[in-house]
Amino acid sequence: MISLSLLLNWTFQAAVAFVATIAFAVTFHAPRKEYLFTGITGSIGWLVYLICMHFGAGTVASSFFAAVTLTWFSRMFSFCRKEPVTVFLICGIFPIVPGAGIYYTGYHFFMGENALALSKGLETIKIAIFMALGMGIVLSLPSFLFPFSRQHRKQKGGRS
Amino acid sequence: MKQKSSILELSFAMGETLLRNGAEISRVQETMERVASSFHTEEFNVYVLSNAIFANGIEDGVQHTTQLRHIPATAIHLGRISAVNQLSREIAQGQHTVEEAFDILKKIQDSPFSPLPLATAACAAGCACFSYLFGGSWLDALAALCCGALLEPYLYLTKKHQLSKFLTNLSASALAALCAFLFLRIGLGENLDKIIIGSIIRLVPGVALTTSIRDFFNGDYLSGTIRMIDAILVGGCIAVGVGVVVRLISFMTGGGPL
Repeated sequence: MISLSLLLNWTFQAAVAFVATIAFAVTFHAPRKEYLFTGITGSIGWLVYLICMHFGAGTVASSFFAAVTLTWFSRMFSFCRKEPVTVFLICGIFPIVPGAGIYYTGYHFFMGENALALSKGLETIKIAIFMALGMGIVLSLPSFLFPFSRQHRKQKGGRS
Repeated sequence: MKQKSSILELSFAMGETLLRNGAEISRVQETMERVASSFHTEEFNVYVLSNAIFANGIEDGVQHTTQLRHIPATAIHLGRISAVNQLSREIAQGQHTVEEAFDILKKIQDSPFSPLPLATAACAAGCACFSYLFGGSWLDALAALCCGALLEPYLYLTKKHQLSKFLTNLSASALAALCAFLFLRIGLGENLDKIIIGSIIRLVPGVALTTSIRDFFNGDYLSGTIRMIDAILVGGCIAVGVGVVVRLISFMTGGGPL
């Protein structure tokens, strides 16, 4: 089901997402030493999105799972690097923000294809809602679930 | 100078810096409260909205300060948020006096934005990458690269001349669509839609959406709603800007779908 060429393609796409996320980190003036980690966040999000799409999850569910994963990673990085979650989250979320949905909604709306415009618009809103849900769920999880957090280390018996 | 060294002033200035550069409400509120309590103010209450801070406190027993300040939304600067976060952590550990903290904060507030060439390169690279990720070919990515390289200087100009947000997004997305079409016409790129999707990703309201969701889940419904409306309006502006241009182009080229 997963051939070698597909794996290679995924790897390459993840690498492209890595560069794209770093480009946004530069645009939003993220601290320079965090570029690497924002890039990882973005490429993991996109990788999960691709894998979910491959197994037929659909754009909405894929965005949800991608959001969950990348938010989990940005919280982990924020504990490990002692930076606000926002730094990783804002840059990493960009690959799954429904930019394509916005374009197709506008396109069909102005080309007079009302049914298509409506369905694309609804899909865009659905993606945004589920993305929000995924992010929100992970953001409200208690912090001991994340590696590198203070409570986590305390539980493991280490020094914080 | 009495005013400048006040604890409340410091807390207030830090909150303002955070809010101006796009932090979420709960972080602003927490930071302000943490700073005030680590310098042992007798009483401190703060209420933060997405564009205003209301704070009120008692300092040195008698001095009673109430302040309201309107804060316009400006550009995102994650570096400053991160630096203020670091500063507040150091203050909580008792490493700084109020004056020292003020000096550091001043430096943070003056930390520069990326220079235009770097920002342009980043925007171009981002647009090209996203065009490829959304299913475009190599040529599409190249065309999106050129669109991105034109888009960022335009955004810089609109910011400099203080064009309204509404008009900025409308015109910038129209510009992106127009550039994409022109590049397609001279043979650079294969799919108009993929080039445009790549180019408009710079404008897409990802930050507003993310911050609004964070506010909602932290219970700051009012600020969350304000930012959500912002995200929806910007998204709508982009859709309209792109749609109008695509429609005009299809008129001029014979009415068929592109």
